[in-house]
Amino acid sequence: MNATTDTVLIEARSIEKRYPNGVLGLKRASLSVQAGEVVVIVGPSGSGKSTLLRTFNGLESITGGEIVVDGHVLHQRSADLRSLRQRVGMVFQQFNLFPHLTVLENLSLAPVKVLKLSAAAAEERARALLVKVGLSDKCDCYPSQLSGGQQQRVAIARALAMQPAVMLFDEPTSALDPEMVGEVLEVMKQLATEGMTMCVVTHEMGFARAVADRVIFMDAGEILCEDPPSAFFDAPKHERLKTFLRQIL
Amino acid sequence: MPNSTSRWLWHGLAVALLAVFGASLYIASKRIDYTWRWERIPQYLISTEGEDQKAPFDGFVAVSEDGKQLSMTALRGSETTSFTDFSRVLVSNGDLVFEGDVLAKKDQLGPGPLLIGLWLTLKISALSLVFALMLGLVVGLGRVSKNPAARDLAAFYVEVIRGTPLLVQIFIVYFFIGTVLQLSAFAAGVVALSVFTGAYVAEIVRAGIEAVPKGQVEAAQSLGLSGFQTMRHVILPQATRRVLPPLAGQSINLIKDSSLVSVMALTDLTKAGREVVSSTFSPFEVWFVVALMYLLLTGVLSIAVRRLEKRFAAQG
Ligand SMILES: Nc1ncnc2c1ncn2[C@@H]1O[C@H](COP(=O)(O)OP(=O)(O)OP(=O)(O)O)[C@@H](O)[C@H]1O
Ligand SMILES: [Mg+2]
Repeated sequence: MNATTDTVLIEARSIEKRYPNGVLGLKRASLSVQAGEVVVIVGPSGSGKSTLLRTFNGLESITGGEIVVDGHVLHQRSADLRSLRQRVGMVFQQFNLFPHLTVLENLSLAPVKVLKLSAAAAEERARALLVKVGLSDKCDCYPSQLSGGQQQRVAIARALAMQPAVMLFDEPTSALDPEMVGEVLEVMKQLATEGMTMCVVTHEMGFARAVADRVIFMDAGEILCEDPPSAFFDAPKHERLKTFLRQIL
Repeated sequence: MPNSTSRWLWHGLAVALLAVFGASLYIASKRIDYTWRWERIPQYLISTEGEDQKAPFDGFVAVSEDGKQLSMTALRGSETTSFTDFSRVLVSNGDLVFEGDVLAKKDQLGPGPLLIGLWLTLKISALSLVFALMLGLVVGLGRVSKNPAARDLAAFYVEVIRGTPLLVQIFIVYFFIGTVLQLSAFAAGVVALSVFTGAYVAEIVRAGIEAVPKGQVEAAQSLGLSGFQTMRHVILPQATRRVLPPLAGQSINLIKDSSLVSVMALTDLTKAGREVVSSTFSPFEVWFVVALMYLLLTGVLSIAVRRLEKRFAAQG
């Protein structure tokens, strides 16, 4: 779908996020993401990765700079966050599935309520997505009846059900038992192959190397460097990135 | 965990202690020379007293030999009338009666004062519960609202109501608001109980909403749901499950609190109990029966809520 590669989907210019308690979560961070790109964000804990990602769908408001996502100017007061969020899917570390709804209902809630799809159309869409993430037999289960890996795959399908232009992943495999990490990464790889625009915060360096078009390193609220994976991992430029890579690899 | 024999032993001990407690009550009542007259109670639960047949004008009555027919001839003029719907005649053939005198009774089973009081308690509690739930939901939502005015008003209401005794509130509603707005005692009772219970329900609703993890709201918003849709489809359904047990407790409190409306001209179960005591002089029996009837109401409610909880628990 996103075959046109030079459309900019996310354009963040020198954004700053100061939390109400005074903590500076982001400092002069600039980033631009093209349609169809896969951008992986890495960095130590507390470096502002989640904060950055959450500014892209307005879960976090910025206190400085400019940010435009899919044509929505987010630094303006009048920003229509609801219509933005229909275009930006988000996957959380803790899945955040709706526990009182079945898998099928989790997937069709937003398409029915927000996109005003008919129940039948939403269900059809949901079933197709569940086939895609390999969970077609779990339609009527409640989230609590699924393993962590299965829940995260449902969460990905739930975001995809809105047919977003961009998908944001905030450490999607960090809460999973090791044996379930693979199945979730597999789904994400497939999405990338299909040309989905993705921003992924992760500690899975194998995934970054294999799938990312660009890898971004953050530290203390700043974007310190961004490079294609080969240059990023094999010839790190920044001193702090070298230290970071030594620690995790 | 104790094994099953020793568990039964402990249950047995509990029963034995209760029996000792009951026996000491009985002995204590003997000491103060109290005669138990349980036989007086049933008539206040179920009354056989039926309708009266009254004389429509002054005149003489005529009763047949077998007492099955009753008729009347007017004292002045030649008007006559006969009665058919009765089971006992209270006058004899040839009696002179005056307008309004009771000539015969129709025996009929009906609720006695205690059951009528129970019915009023049930009615006032049920009605108040419905209003309290609506009020509590609105105020609870106000407590967690983004709007500071809504938050302030909701907090003010909750603090005022929880900080004053229900009895005082009932007096205020009955004597002040009730007089201004010309409320009946029943309406005043419903208002006072709903407003009182609503404040507690609001706190339960607030706690229930706040207990839903923040990630749920973020997930809903990330999907483009509006604030209202998030509340309606994501938060409230999850909060409902959490608030069910405390709401059950609050409803039980409501039933018990409703006994305070007996200070108004309302014959609820407690007031009925008081009236029956003054005509039977059997306070112990009456109050035990009244307590049992309250227990019945609250017990049925507990069971119903437990059923509901099970149904909710079934989903994931
Ligand atoms: N709601 C908040 N209020 C105040 N400070 C916050 C809030 N959220 C995050 N921070 C602070 O902002 C900084 C960046 O946090 P952020 O969660 O973006 O880091 P992160 O890179 O995602 O870390 P992790 O790998 O642990 O998830 C941290 O110092 C954190 O303490
Ligand atoms: Mg994070």
